[in-house]
Amino acid sequence: MNCFEFRKLLLADPRARTSGQDRHLAECPACANVAREMENLEARVHDAMRVPVPEALAERVLLRQKTRVPALRVWALAASLVAAIGAGAYFYRTAGNTEEPMLVAATLGQNHPAVAAIAYVVDHEPQLLREGRSGDPAVMRSALVKLGLKLPANGVTVRYLGKCPVPSGTGEHIVLQTALGQVTLILVPNHPLGPRVTVMDRQMTALASPARLGGYILVADSLDHVRRIEKMLM
Amino acid sequence: MFTGKQSKFETMVRAYSAELYRYAYWMCRDRFLAEDLVQDTFTRAWQAWDGLRDDKAARSWLYTILRNERARLFERKRLEIDEAQELDDLIDASSAGPHEDLEMRQLLSALPVGYREPLVLQVLGGHSCAEIARIMDISEGAVMTRLTRARLALRKLPGIAATRKAKSV
Ligand SMILES: [Zn+2]
Repeated sequence: MNCFEFRKLLLADPRARTSGQDRHLAECPACANVAREMENLEARVHDAMRVPVPEALAERVLLRQKTRVPALRVWALAASLVAAIGAGAYFYRTAGNTEEPMLVAATLGQNHPAVAAIAYVVDHEPQLLREGRSGDPAVMRSALVKLGLKLPANGVTVRYLGKCPVPSGTGEHIVLQTALGQVTLILVPNHPLGPRVTVMDRQMTALASPARLGGYILVADSLDHVRRIEKMLM
Repeated sequence: MFTGKQSKFETMVRAYSAELYRYAYWMCRDRFLAEDLVQDTFTRAWQAWDGLRDDKAARSWLYTILRNERARLFERKRLEIDEAQELDDLIDASSAGPHEDLEMRQLLSALPVGYREPLVLQVLGGHSCAEIARIMDISEGAVMTRLTRARLALRKLPGIAATRKAKSV
């Protein structure tokens, strides 16, 4: 076995050692060095991959199986709830220039998509941002088109791209850096989001609005910012 | 009969939910989505239980279910060429200019998922290249190439490079 063959096997599977590899290792200090380095890398990769597992995960899985409760994502309740609230023509807008009533979270309940979006942004987004970008720009672009939105060419950069739970399953979770600060945009293509609503909770403002083939939610630090960002996306 | 199925299922949930969660997490990097994926995986497993003949195959069967659930959720059609390019760009971008050590979790997060996935299956799941090939539905050669490229990339990335230099001094 030569150095190339040795390293090829080592990189593909450092834990599997053939006798040929062992022999090469004994007579080649350079490859022995690489092998030690890979061992160190392997240990670090392994430790990093062992992310904490949520407590009582197995119990929750078993509970759901025993009670035969169908999959219920975080916001799954929201769709029916919004439909119920929407029956009173309470929130709809005309021509986009009427003052929208600003609601407090208690009015809508924690399961409303707009309220849940704020909770998601406040509770989970910092961690997601630390972990870095994940999503597919093509998927984001297609979702934007479906909703009749577009990112302006200047002044807005995508800081994070990922998925988040929404009534229909998952939405596109986008964190934008803008001149007005950090803004979260959640796209829900192919699923009606219920009537338009703005809500304030935990010092953040969220706007949930139906759009062409679905809906979107914007979360920012003030109503003014939410509205200005929305105009930029139109 | 039913209790046999029930207790086997419970054993399986307790034995594998943690590792499936970690696999799911590294596929989507969202803790909540990862738990949903584990839930959905076991729901499917319970429904399809009678199709399972071999207890020993159960583990990789669960990985395959989870993988399919995720694909269903993401509806993402990956272009392998794009991911290879993405990996090159990542190495290029990170080898230019000064930078601080990145945490290993961030480095792993930065790997394209097509490279991260076999690495998680091997390092954390302890699966052989042949098993990974079956789970990912690609050739064993492709698995080995991806693992090699993933490790080469991690080795070149700043956090690792810095450690290496420090060590060799
Ligand atoms: Zn050698």
